[in-house]
Amino acid sequence: MFGLPIAFATPWILTALLSLPVIWWLLRLTPPKPQAEVFPPTRILARLRDAEETPAQSPWWLTLLRLTLAGIIILAMAGPILNPQDQILQADGQTLVVMDDGWASAEDWENKRNTALAIADEAAASGSTVILESTTANRVWSGQPLSPDEAKDIIAASEPRPYEPDHAATAARISLIKQSTTPENIVFLSDGLNHTSTEELIAELEATDRNRQVFLPEPKTQFAVRTIRNEPTELTGEIARSRAAGNENIPVLALDEEGLVIARTTASFSGSEQITRFSIEEPLELRNQVTRIEVGNVSHAAAVQLLDEGNQRRLVGLISGEKFDQSQPLLSPLYYISRALEPFTDIRRSGDANVAASVRELINQRVSALVLADVGTLDEETSDRLATWVEEGGMLIRFAGPRLGGSVDRSLLPVDIRPGDRRLGGALSWETPKALAPFERNSPFFGLEPPKDVLVNKQLLALQEVALEEKTWAVLEDGTPLVTAEQLSAGWIVLFHVSSDAEWSNLPLSGTFVEMLRRTINLSRSGLGQNTQETEVSLPPLRVLNADGTFVPPDADVRPLILSKGVTKSVSQGNPPGFYGLSDGYEALNLFEGDSELAKLNASLLPLSFQREAYLSNKSFPLSVWLFVIAAVLLIADCIAMLWMAGGLKRISTKALQASASLLLVATVISVSPQESLAQETDVDIASVLKTRLAYVETGVETVDRISKAGLFGLTQFLTTRTALEPGEPIGLDVATDELSFYSLIYWPIDPNAPIPTPETMARVDAYMKEGGSILFDTRDQISGALGGTSASPAARTLQQILSGLDIPPLEPVPEDHVLTKSFYLLNEFPGRFAGGDLWVEVSQRDAEDEGRPVRVGDGVSSIMITSNDMAGAWAVDSNLRPLFPTIPPDPTQRNYAFRSGVNLMMYVLTGNYKSDQVHLPELLERLGQ
Amino acid sequence: MAAIGQIAPRETGRETMERARARASLIPDLLVEAKRVANTVFSGWHGRRKRGIGENFWQFRPYSPGETMSRIDWRRSARDEGNIYVQDKEWQATHTVWLWVDESPSMLFKSELATVSKQSRALVLAFAMAELLARSGERVGWLGVTPAILSRNAADRLAEALILAPPVTEFPVKPDLGTHTDLIIFSDFLDPIETNRQRLTSLFKLGARGHIVEMIDPVEEVFPYSGRVEFNDPETGEKFTVGNAESLRSEYENEIAARSEALRQTAASLNWSTTKHHTDRLASEALAKLHMHLSERG
Repeated sequence: MFGLPIAFATPWILTALLSLPVIWWLLRLTPPKPQAEVFPPTRILARLRDAEETPAQSPWWLTLLRLTLAGIIILAMAGPILNPQDQILQADGQTLVVMDDGWASAEDWENKRNTALAIADEAAASGSTVILESTTANRVWSGQPLSPDEAKDIIAASEPRPYEPDHAATAARISLIKQSTTPENIVFLSDGLNHTSTEELIAELEATDRNRQVFLPEPKTQFAVRTIRNEPTELTGEIARSRAAGNENIPVLALDEEGLVIARTTASFSGSEQITRFSIEEPLELRNQVTRIEVGNVSHAAAVQLLDEGNQRRLVGLISGEKFDQSQPLLSPLYYISRALEPFTDIRRSGDANVAASVRELINQRVSALVLADVGTLDEETSDRLATWVEEGGMLIRFAGPRLGGSVDRSLLPVDIRPGDRRLGGALSWETPKALAPFERNSPFFGLEPPKDVLVNKQLLALQEVALEEKTWAVLEDGTPLVTAEQLSAGWIVLFHVSSDAEWSNLPLSGTFVEMLRRTINLSRSGLGQNTQETEVSLPPLRVLNADGTFVPPDADVRPLILSKGVTKSVSQGNPPGFYGLSDGYEALNLFEGDSELAKLNASLLPLSFQREAYLSNKSFPLSVWLFVIAAVLLIADCIAMLWMAGGLKRISTKALQASASLLLVATVISVSPQESLAQETDVDIASVLKTRLAYVETGVETVDRISKAGLFGLTQFLTTRTALEPGEPIGLDVATDELSFYSLIYWPIDPNAPIPTPETMARVDAYMKEGGSILFDTRDQISGALGGTSASPAARTLQQILSGLDIPPLEPVPEDHVLTKSFYLLNEFPGRFAGGDLWVEVSQRDAEDEGRPVRVGDGVSSIMITSNDMAGAWAVDSNLRPLFPTIPPDPTQRNYAFRSGVNLMMYVLTGNYKSDQVHLPELLERLGQ
Repeated sequence: MAAIGQIAPRETGRETMERARARASLIPDLLVEAKRVANTVFSGWHGRRKRGIGENFWQFRPYSPGETMSRIDWRRSARDEGNIYVQDKEWQATHTVWLWVDESPSMLFKSELATVSKQSRALVLAFAMAELLARSGERVGWLGVTPAILSRNAADRLAEALILAPPVTEFPVKPDLGTHTDLIIFSDFLDPIETNRQRLTSLFKLGARGHIVEMIDPVEEVFPYSGRVEFNDPETGEKFTVGNAESLRSEYENEIAARSEALRQTAASLNWSTTKHHTDRLASEALAKLHMHLSERG
C-alpha cells in the first residue's frame, strides 16, 4: 500500500476513517465545563461585565490532536503488517512438514518456528491441510492431516526437545503416511547435522515426485561434551565438533550446584580434528563440587555434561553425647572429628541437643555416615531407626567415652565391650601408655604408617570372642583392639575404642586419624551409585535440561528414570538429560554418554531434486501494537493539555505529590509493620529471660510442690541478702511443656507417688542437660535409706526409674577438692533438713599435675546433682522468713549450712570453674612481679 | 480540579448546644494563639510615664518628712546608710476599647493561598487585642455581646460570652458606646462603598474613635482564576459565569484597589485609622499596626 511494504489484516475497518469529519464537528461544538469557584467579591465582578454565556471553542490544535488520535486508533485496529512474506510453497495442496526439533535446533529455533508458521500460513491461504512430523517423535506432531489453524497452534507452542533426532524412526513413520496420502509439498526443516540414518530419511523423502524442499541453517559448528572423568589430579573430558573448521579455541566452564562458575579452561581444536580433550586442574575439594561442565557461549543440551554424586563428597552427620559448649570448642568431642572430616566430606550437625531428634533429623537428611561421639544409652526407637538405617547401607561410626563405657546398652556395637574403661599408665597401673601396632593386611587402614608418637592412655576393652580378630581394624601394641567394625547387611558399624577428643589418646591430633576417617568414610555408600541389585530402582526426575541446556523443573511428560541391573542409563523419550533422584542423592543423565561424534549434513550430497532454502530470518512485523502505543501517548498528551487549559496543572502538582507520598508512606508502614511472632512465648518466659530465677519441677504432689516453692523462696531471700545475685520469684515448671532453657538450675524433688515422666519428657530433660543446664535431684529420704547403698528406698527407686531414660555420665560424691566446696562459702558437707547424705555430681577428671592443688581443675558444670538431704525442707520459710520445718537433728547451724550449700550450688552453676581458676591467682601475681 | 476557594466552617456558635460545644473547643485554641501573638507585642501605650496611683513600680525617692510611714521601702532604705527611701508607683488609668468582628458568610471564605478563613483570623486578632488591652488594664467589650469588662482575664470572659451569643452577622447600628472610647472593627467591607460609608459615619457620630481592620483573603486581590469559571457569592448566592477569567484580572484589580482606597479615605475623613490585613500574612503584623495606631492615640 502506497509503495510501502505494508499490508492490512482487516482493511474494511479503514472505512471508519470516513467518520473523522463528524468527530471534528462534534469536538468543535463541545465546550469545556466551567470551573465552579466560591468567590465573595462576585458582586464586584458582576458589576464589571455581563456574564459570558457563549461556549468557548476548543483550540484548533487540541481538535487536531484528538482527530489524530481517532485516526491512529482506526489504523491500528485495521492491523497493519510491515514486510509481508514471500511465497514459500511451490504448489497448492497438502503439505508435509518434517522438522528436526532435537537439541541441535535449539540455537536458531525462532527462525525454524517462524518458517514453519509461514508455511502453515500459506497453506491456510490455499485452504489445504498440513501434516506435521517431528524427528524426535514429539507426540503432538501426530503425522495426521491438520487444518492450517490447528497446525499453527501446534507450531507456535512447540519447543526444541533435548533429544537426539531419530531419523530412522521418522523415515518409517513417513513411509506409513505416504501409504495413506500423497502430499503435494514436502518440506524438511533440517538442523544441519548428519545424524544416524539421516540418509535413510532423505531417501524416504525423495521417493516421491512432488515438490521437495529442504531448509538448511547457516553453517555453524556445533559442539558436544562427552566422557567426563574424575582423575586423581584433574577432571578430564572430550569435546566433539560438527565440522573441521580449522584451529579453534573454545572456553569450557565447570559449574557447581548453584550454577556458579568455579573453574574454566580452554579446549583447543587444531586443523581437521573433530574431537579434542580438555582437563580442569583444581583441588579435589573444588572438583568435588562440580556438577555441570559446559561449553561457553553455546546454548544447547549436548554442550552440557552433568556430574552426579559419584564424583561428590559424602554427607556425614555428627552427634555427640556431650553437652553443647560453644565457649570451649577444643574440648568438644566433635571438634577433632569435624576438623578431620571437613576437607573431604560435607558435615551436617543437628541443631538439636536431643540425641533421638538429631538421629531422626540427620537420617532424614540422608547422610552417608553418622558419627556418634560418646553416646551411651539410646532409646529403643532411636536404636531401631539406626539399625534399620545401617542395614540399608548407612555407616555408623562410634567413638568411646565415659558415657559409652558407663552405659549398660550394648546394642549397635561391633563387639561386646567390658563395662568401664581400661586406664594405661595411671597412678595405680604398672602399664605405660601404648602405641599403635602396624595395620593388618585385611584392615582398610593397611598401608598407612602407624604414627610413632600416638599413645593411648585409655580405651574400652572388647570382650573376647571368636570373630574378634576379623572385626578388628586396628590394634595397640599389646594386641587389644583400637578400631573394630562389623558389616551389617549393606552398612557398617565402626567403633573407635578411644574418645574422639584428646583426652584418652592423642590419636585425634595425628594425621593418621584423618586418613583413617577418610578410608572409613570411603567405605560408605556414595549416593546411589550403579544399581548392583536385582530389583529395579526408580528415580524421580529432579531437574532436567531443556534443549537450550538450562535446568528446568520436570514437566508432566518426564518419567522416572528406571535403573536396572546391567543396563546403562541413556536418554530416551520421557527421560531427557538431567538429574534424577532426590536433592540429597541423585543420578546424572547425559545426552552423550559414550563415544558419539558429530557430523555436518553435507548439502552437496543431497539429491538434486531437493530445493535448498534458507530459514526466514526476519519476521513480518505487525505495527498495531506500536500504533496503539502512539495513541496512548497522544491520549496522555490530551489529558495534560486539558489540565493545562483549565489552569489546574500547577495546583494539582503539589496535591498529587502529597497523595502519592502518603500512599507510599502507608505502603511502607504496612510492609514494615511487625509480623506476628511465630514462637509462642509466654509472659512467664519473657520474665524468666529478663531475670535469673530459681526453678523447681512440679511433681504434681501438692505438699511437695508447696515445700519446693517455700524452699526456693527462702533460698532466694538468702541469696539476695548475702550475695550479689538477686533472683526473681521462684517458679514451678512442668517439665513436659515449659521451656527449660532459661533456668540454670532446676530443683527436682523426687516423690514416690509422683507420676513417672514420659520418654518424650525425659528427652527434653536430656536436651536441657546437654545444653548446659543442671538439675538437682533430691530424694529427701536420707533418714529412711541412704542413696547408693544396697537398700534402695522408694524414692531412690523412682529416681532410678526416671534416670533410666537419660544418658548419665559416671557420678561420684562431691570430692573434698571439688569447686562446689569453694564456689562461695568454704564447705565440706552439703546438709539439708537431714545431715549426712552425700551430694553426687559428675566425675571430674583428675590429672597427675593436679596433685597438690587445693582445687581440682575441671571444665564445665555437672549437669546432674543428686542429694537425699531434703534441701528445700531446710530452706523453706514462710512470708515472715520464719523456717517452716525443723532440721533433723534440730540444729540452727545445720540450717545455716543448708543455705550456704544452696548458695554454693547456685554460684557453681552460674560461674562454673571460675573459682578453680582463681586458685592460680597467687602464682599469676607472683609471676607478674607483685 | 479542586476549586481555589472554599467556605470554611463558621468558627462561632449558634443556638444549638452541639455547635456551642464545638465552638468552646475552638475558642480556647484561638485564645492560646492570641496570647502567643500578644506576647510578641510590647504593651506600653497606657504607661502614663508619671508617678501616681497604680500597681507597678515607678521609682525610689528620698523620704520627705510628713509622708505616711507606710510608704517607706525598708528594704531599699536598709541598703543605703543615712537615707530613707519611698517607693513610687506608676500612675495608671483605664480606657474602654470595643471590639467587633463581622461574621457574615463572606468572612468564612478561605482560599488555598491562605492558611485560615478571614473570620478565624479576625477572631484571633480580636482576642489578641483583648488580651493585650486587658494586660494593660483597659476595659474591653464586644459590641452587641458583652458590656466592657475590666479584668485581667477579660479575653477569656469575652470568649465565654461569644460562645453563648449567636454569631453577629449584622453591622451594629447605634450601639451604646459611651464617650471617649475606642472601637476596633474587623470586617471585609465587601458591601457597596456607600453602605460602608453610612455605617462608619453613624458610628462616628456616637463619639467613638475607630480603627478599621480590613480582612482580605489573598485570592481576592491577586485573582488567580483562568479559563471558564463560574463564581458564586456566598453571601447573596449570586452566580456569575465568565469564559476566560484571566481577561477580567486587570479590571478587577483596579476595582478592588479603588474600593480599598475609598474605604481608607472615608476613615481618614473621620480621623479613623485603617489597617489592611491579608490572611496569608502573620497575625502579629496586623497586631503591631493596630498597636501602633492605638498608641498614637494613647
